[in-house]
Amino acid sequence: MLLAVVEMQDTAIFLVMLGFLIGLSAIFSRHIDRLGVPVVLLFLVLGILGGSEGIGGIAFDDYSFAVRVGTIYLVLILVDGGMTTSLAAVRRVLLPAGILATIGVALTAALLALFGRLVGLPWIEAMLLGAIVSSTDAAAVLAVLRGGNLHLKPEVGDTLEVESCMNDPMAVILTVTVIELALAPGEWHWTRLVAIPVQLAIGGATGVGLGLAGKWGVERVRPATIGLYPAVTLAIAFLSFGIATVLGGSGLLSVYVTALVLGSAALPYRAGLKRVHDALAWLSQIGLFLMLGLLVFPSSLPAVAGVGLGAALFLAFVARPLAVAACLLPLRFPPRQIGYIGWIGLRGAVPIILGVFPVLAGVPGAERVFNIVFFIVVVSTLLPGATIRRMTQWLDLARPEMPTPSAVLEINSAHRLTNEIASFFIDSSAAVCGASLSQINLPPASAVMLIVRGQQLVAARGATVLNQGDHVYVFFRPEDQPFIELLFGRRESV
Amino acid sequence: MKFADFVSTEAIQADLVAEDKDGVIREMVQSLLDAGGVQEEEFESIIKAILKREELGSTGIGRGVAVPHTKHPSVDRLVGTVAVSREGVDFQSLDGEKVHLFFLLISPPDRPGDHLRALENISRQLRNDTFCRFLKQSKSADDIRQLLEEADNNQFGA
Repeated sequence: MLLAVVEMQDTAIFLVMLGFLIGLSAIFSRHIDRLGVPVVLLFLVLGILGGSEGIGGIAFDDYSFAVRVGTIYLVLILVDGGMTTSLAAVRRVLLPAGILATIGVALTAALLALFGRLVGLPWIEAMLLGAIVSSTDAAAVLAVLRGGNLHLKPEVGDTLEVESCMNDPMAVILTVTVIELALAPGEWHWTRLVAIPVQLAIGGATGVGLGLAGKWGVERVRPATIGLYPAVTLAIAFLSFGIATVLGGSGLLSVYVTALVLGSAALPYRAGLKRVHDALAWLSQIGLFLMLGLLVFPSSLPAVAGVGLGAALFLAFVARPLAVAACLLPLRFPPRQIGYIGWIGLRGAVPIILGVFPVLAGVPGAERVFNIVFFIVVVSTLLPGATIRRMTQWLDLARPEMPTPSAVLEINSAHRLTNEIASFFIDSSAAVCGASLSQINLPPASAVMLIVRGQQLVAARGATVLNQGDHVYVFFRPEDQPFIELLFGRRESV
Repeated sequence: MKFADFVSTEAIQADLVAEDKDGVIREMVQSLLDAGGVQEEEFESIIKAILKREELGSTGIGRGVAVPHTKHPSVDRLVGTVAVSREGVDFQSLDGEKVHLFFLLISPPDRPGDHLRALENISRQLRNDTFCRFLKQSKSADDIRQLLEEADNNQFGA
């Protein structure tokens, strides 16, 4: 048979499997969520099955391709993370999240390296292991916190989210530093460590710059079709990563900051844009775990199973909780919150890519480290994922339940709109609960527009009474937002 | 609706001791209790209800002002009090600023209209910078009482 035909058939079989699994996981995502098993682990299994030692027989060991594609995936995940996080939330938790994302990451890496050395790994491998899995994963944390209908108290939820989006640069820098140390120990000097804050500073500054420039640009360009708006935001994100990296800064931090700035802007077709990036992030995560599955050789796993599981448990029970406590105790975080943040240390996409770095660089023992990383990723995705619900209830860190409305209203426009429409969930404790609309003295130029009540859309008339459980759409000017929130309570993110 | 219609003057505090959100709410409800505005056996239940509303979203509306409020079946009419914190308290405000001025409201669940009118009055008056500044600078409960009275008489031009 012609090679091209064989290739087409292979691709077809791969797509059948992929389509089948993506479809299944989307259909059963609710049930899988309830079990607490992150859906992405299914794709890890698919990757292993599809790999050279599985039934798929796909021989994939192109590490530089893996790094390149993996980095793109990571950028897509961070763009989504940044665009969906409010600047106000970042400002509120910047101090704890920032400390966790830098000192916390370094501490975790150091503790795990110590463990690695104690169980007999050479120093370089132990340090690599520590550095590679030192950061929590943005995609995994966002998926578990937002996807699982888990309503965490903002100080905990925001800290975890912002930390997970900000700590990848530190892990990258640490890993690269250890690789440099491994390859040229003679040339390495501790002064290299000074470069870490410099890289973060350049990354942050480039991120802000590109974000502001992007904001200015997006509001002015008029692409031929609406579908091109996500292309524009993607372009800005890629530029942000690329320029920051070329300038010697952290590309990942730059992308996240750029996305934060863009997300806070009044973007054209904002809701649609966010949905596209949400889907891209989701697919990226699938891609990353598929790739990890393909890159791992199951036959080489048993040899490191003991160390791998040991390291994973040490990370979950000792290293992460200790590092978090050391960072947050001085900030006088309540012990319950420290315990919770310490437990929810989901790892995921980043260690997969970072694990490939030393293999590419030809560091001795790098394959073994990669295999250990596999165990850590699996265990630290499963363990907190499966227990997060019980932990949240047990430590009483959930916000009052806020069900999603059965209908969503959104305004799409290519132009920058001056006023806002927001939806509010009416809790029994909200001031407007039980009041008729005529009793609510709204500021001038504000109005209640529509009420979503169960399966019903209710017109906003003067005699309409707001009931507990309603989702109410309110139109208002930005300057009236504090008063509107005082009356209606929490704004829903739609 | 005027301040005089719902602010319990004996419960006004010019110098809060508490340094955190829970503490401020406790201290203010305690002063309402001391002034006879709420019943002792309902104390914890009222605090819980106010904190539940805070979990929905902070009532720190920015510019150093917070309006913790709730509905509670144990009161038969709208009651409220005012307090000032010299140091300011982290109230997870919308603008991230520390809060110095607190207006606390408790109303019966079947009277949402009164509750809304009181909230509207408070936020309208607090839009006046002079009124806010004077309140923050007030040294005693009497000063605050007088300022509320002047605001009721529209002397700040609100």
